[in-house]
Amino acid sequence: MKALEVSAISFSYHSPVDKSATGGVDYALRSFSMSIEEGKVHALLGPNGAGKTTLMKIITGVLRGYAGEVFVLGNKMPENSALLSLGCAPQAISLYMPLTARENLHFFGVMANLSEEQITQRSVDVLAQTGLTDHADKLISTYSGGMQRRLNLAVALLHSPKLLLLDEPTVGVDPQSRNHIYETMKNLNASGMTILLSTHIMEEAARLCSSVTLLDGGKIVFDGAMSAIDNLEKFFLEKTGRGLRDD
Amino acid sequence: MIRRQLVEIVKKEMLVMLRDKQTILLLFFMPLALIFFMTLAFKGVYADKIYEKQIPLVIENESQSPKANLLEQKIQSNKMIKIVELPPDMDKDRIFEYGKAQVLVVIPKGFEEGTRPVEIYFDPVFDTGYKVAVRSLMTSLTVEVVMGIDNIEAVVSGLITEKTKRDMIVPSPLQLTVPAYAIFAMFFIAIPMSIGFLKEKNEGTLQRLFTYSVSPSVIALGKIIPYYVINIIQFVLMLFFGAFIAPLIINTPFQMGTHVWHLIPITLVVAAATTGFGVLIATLAKTLEQTSTLAATGAILMGVLGGIMVPHFIMSHTMQKLAMISPIYWAHQSYLDVFLRNAEFSTILPKLAILAIFALACFFIAGRRIKWM
Repeated sequence: MKALEVSAISFSYHSPVDKSATGGVDYALRSFSMSIEEGKVHALLGPNGAGKTTLMKIITGVLRGYAGEVFVLGNKMPENSALLSLGCAPQAISLYMPLTARENLHFFGVMANLSEEQITQRSVDVLAQTGLTDHADKLISTYSGGMQRRLNLAVALLHSPKLLLLDEPTVGVDPQSRNHIYETMKNLNASGMTILLSTHIMEEAARLCSSVTLLDGGKIVFDGAMSAIDNLEKFFLEKTGRGLRDD
Repeated sequence: MIRRQLVEIVKKEMLVMLRDKQTILLLFFMPLALIFFMTLAFKGVYADKIYEKQIPLVIENESQSPKANLLEQKIQSNKMIKIVELPPDMDKDRIFEYGKAQVLVVIPKGFEEGTRPVEIYFDPVFDTGYKVAVRSLMTSLTVEVVMGIDNIEAVVSGLITEKTKRDMIVPSPLQLTVPAYAIFAMFFIAIPMSIGFLKEKNEGTLQRLFTYSVSPSVIALGKIIPYYVINIIQFVLMLFFGAFIAPLIINTPFQMGTHVWHLIPITLVVAAATTGFGVLIATLAKTLEQTSTLAATGAILMGVLGGIMVPHFIMSHTMQKLAMISPIYWAHQSYLDVFLRNAEFSTILPKLAILAIFALACFFIAGRRIKWM
């Protein structure tokens, strides 16, 4: 079964997408399709402005008004069953700084419609998974960048999603926290979780992912097995060019 | 599920707000301090000031005639007046410059004969209310002396008597400053409220909430309810301070009026107006800096127009008309209807309707402008 199926997605920030039109609209994504098999760790790569964040927002149900369809484990987005079977750790630390880790977990647990017992139990589990058990009752404004990033991941895992979306999960963290996040990802994948990893760190993608989608200008430039690529950074530059992407 | 999510968002908002010391200072301690100090400052303006403050006055009796001496004696013995003796070397033309006196009364030669009138000179910065009072006193005393009347007040009291209508009392400055600064503080809630909205959007937590299929209306309601509740707590706290604590500290009475229960609908509607204002600011501003500037400037401007800083009755006619565009004016007048005028609810209702329309307009415009993503 496909963990994620994205079918003919088109989206523009500037004007509503005309499903029949092909020109005249500045598309962030254009007739974009991809899929991920269950149990895989899949890399989503692309230069700045390629459409990765837009795609992540569409998959997670944050952006609406697109043409095309998204299915998560056979459930069409943005149905509740689809939304609740995916977990997302956004690039920004999307947590409430004046609250403790436990309070954040409780809050997002209720948002995910977990029972009080489930929240309590899962909080213990994800805090242990991310190495934050001893800091659970501290305000997260006092956390280091690495701890905040690990908690960002813990919240995404709280409701035991089948598909995990990670957007630049190791930005700004020290090697210890980065390594901890990699180990957590490996363990999650070993337990059957499908992971979609969006990253700019080629070494990270090559080390963790078995398949890759390379995106540029809202379109796929490569979609295949990681094993088919010798040097990912070199391959990336060949496919997307060496020009700076400042726009 | 929706109710549980709503309750959780409200709890979270309350926690976030109560853990922010600056917000607590802004919402609770600032208005308490303002009530305290502004009451002290206005004490002389609103209270029966004639008897509370003695006016420093210099008499120059150039006539020294019996009637002039009697007038001087009557002025000297009046409770409202504090006679100032000028040192012999002091320049009389610069009397106000020295700051020793605020009124100079000259009884000229020829007063007895009725050829020259008594002259009164006022310090240019002297309050108009005091001027009127001094002028009135001088008229009364001069008439007494010239007409040979012993006590003109006793004569006048048979013709005019001052009464209060329906148990109304002389306003205490507290009765004006408590509602004024409570409303002002309630409108300041727009600052943390709009910052909270914008932070949620900018920091990605709002996006995260949407990944859990939380409805935008639940999020909006969850963010509005806590501020609405805090607004009501603010008013209750200010009222408690004004009614029970401040009178003990600054020896100024506070009377609630006879229709205290009218405070409930008024406060509920005022809180709706303030939270509406907060939501509107949140949708108008694009950055955190803009939210603070817009909310603070908006609240201060509405406060100035609405008679918070400068009492409405002191304002010019044009400003009094302009005040009516400020929701703070209608809120303040509604509370004064209760505290001072003992007004029936039917008198307050039109004011509340205006506030309710303001609240609805804010929510409507905010609803049209809001961009969740």
